[in-house]
Amino acid sequence: MTAPARRRRLAALLTAVALSAATACSSSGGAVPPAGGGGQEQNLLDRAPVASDADLATSPTAQAIKQRGQILIGSQLDTPLLSQQNPTTGQTEGFDAILGRLLAKYILGRPNVKIVNSTSQIREALLQNNTVDVVLHTYSITPARAEKVSFAGPYFMSGPAIMARKGDSAVTKPQDLKGKRVLAVTNSTGMALAQQYQPAEMITLGTNAECVTALEQGRGDVYVNDLTQLAGNAQTNDKVQINTGTFGQDPYGIGIHHGDDTFKQFVNAWLTKIQAAGLWQEAYRQTLGTVIPGDVPAPPKTGSVPGS
Amino acid sequence: MNGWGDHLGTFAEGALNTVLLTVFSFAGAVTVAVVITAFRICPVRPLRAFGTAYVELFQNIPLAVWLVLFVFGLPAVGISFGLFTTAAAATALYMASYYAETLRAGVNAVGAGQTEAARALGLGFGQSLSAVVLPQALRAIVQPLGNVTIQLLMNTALAAAVGVVELTEAANRINLVLAEPLPVYVGAGVCYAVLALMISAGTALAERKLAIPR
Repeated sequence: MTAPARRRRLAALLTAVALSAATACSSSGGAVPPAGGGGQEQNLLDRAPVASDADLATSPTAQAIKQRGQILIGSQLDTPLLSQQNPTTGQTEGFDAILGRLLAKYILGRPNVKIVNSTSQIREALLQNNTVDVVLHTYSITPARAEKVSFAGPYFMSGPAIMARKGDSAVTKPQDLKGKRVLAVTNSTGMALAQQYQPAEMITLGTNAECVTALEQGRGDVYVNDLTQLAGNAQTNDKVQINTGTFGQDPYGIGIHHGDDTFKQFVNAWLTKIQAAGLWQEAYRQTLGTVIPGDVPAPPKTGSVPGS
Repeated sequence: MNGWGDHLGTFAEGALNTVLLTVFSFAGAVTVAVVITAFRICPVRPLRAFGTAYVELFQNIPLAVWLVLFVFGLPAVGISFGLFTTAAAATALYMASYYAETLRAGVNAVGAGQTEAARALGLGFGQSLSAVVLPQALRAIVQPLGNVTIQLLMNTALAAAVGVVELTEAANRINLVLAEPLPVYVGAGVCYAVLALMISAGTALAERKLAIPR
């Protein structure tokens, strides 16, 4: 009884040691190497503006980032066309990722970005305790959130849309959501909006990828999320389709520490500059514009929505 | 800042689901654990090997992984249950390995003389297990079983990640509307603490009723 038990205990101990060693070795790959990605984007970065000393002097936060030599951006790595890590190059690609590098270049003179993984549950906390300098990843501006964090922007106008399995066009407008089983990402604005149309059941999962899988497997009838996210899904997955344009207005902002007005003005000034120089439009063309039909939309005016 | 009242219903529903998830997973886990423990101490070698393999497999892969495997993997091979059922099954199978190890510790605490005496009386393996060994084993491990049950309660929070609206997910949803993470999650934390204390109290009561004074 005791000898085998001892052997098993030893085996368990060795397994535990091996496991902890393995986890110690696997570094969390958050750092992104300086941009050396597509030639298109390199061209864009070469033309990007850099803040003058006078600009930097207006914001202590920007100066602190410059001192550090790196900007910490809260984002995620799994959103096609917005912020998705390319497994071969390690580079994050997409609209939000390019804007992040443009902002880094504006402050630092070179696009040195460290991405800090920030899910929608912890974004406010990351900004409140200064773990990140900005959150730049499909962060919708809402008045309730504006009490916790400040928003520069909006830098993009998106909105929820409806995705279904290929060939299923039962739901073509938000009113059709009534009595349906609706999938959404935990803590997303799409989830809040869908709930107003009295679905039979709201099923929330942690990530966009899980929601798409659940939609394919029939755990829900439709999936409500931002048009930008859905566009990415439609691009990478031929089992699903987008059924509607966007309903509702969902302004994306750049989250910053609450009450840091000088930094907010600094970031807004940068947004205005890249829009005037056509860099914003070019970033859209290279990313979202490849799957969303129509012309490049007019960039939203900074401070044009409640909460910004 | 207003409208806390509207959210109490969601919160209560979440708490109820956490309790149900805990109860069902507990029932499933204990049932499986008794079988696995019987396998591990029985004289048939293949069954012993199966019991060992089961425990090692489930203990050495995190529950979060099992949940994702069950929820997204099983439908891929054509087996599909509701989210709650799937999450409860995964939690039960995972926690069963911990209950089984605890039970085995209890069995090891029963003196070898007891089994020998049972055999001398002419009891078979099943009889000596059910009438002599397990009753004594259970009495010896009331406290650790309570601890594993508290662990099970905390593990049900992982079901939020696969779409079950339990306490944690309810808190997530309320926070989405109110953007008040501190009070919402502290409230959820207090609920978990109360539930855990109830399990502790139950354990202490059972301990007093069942303990063998040595």
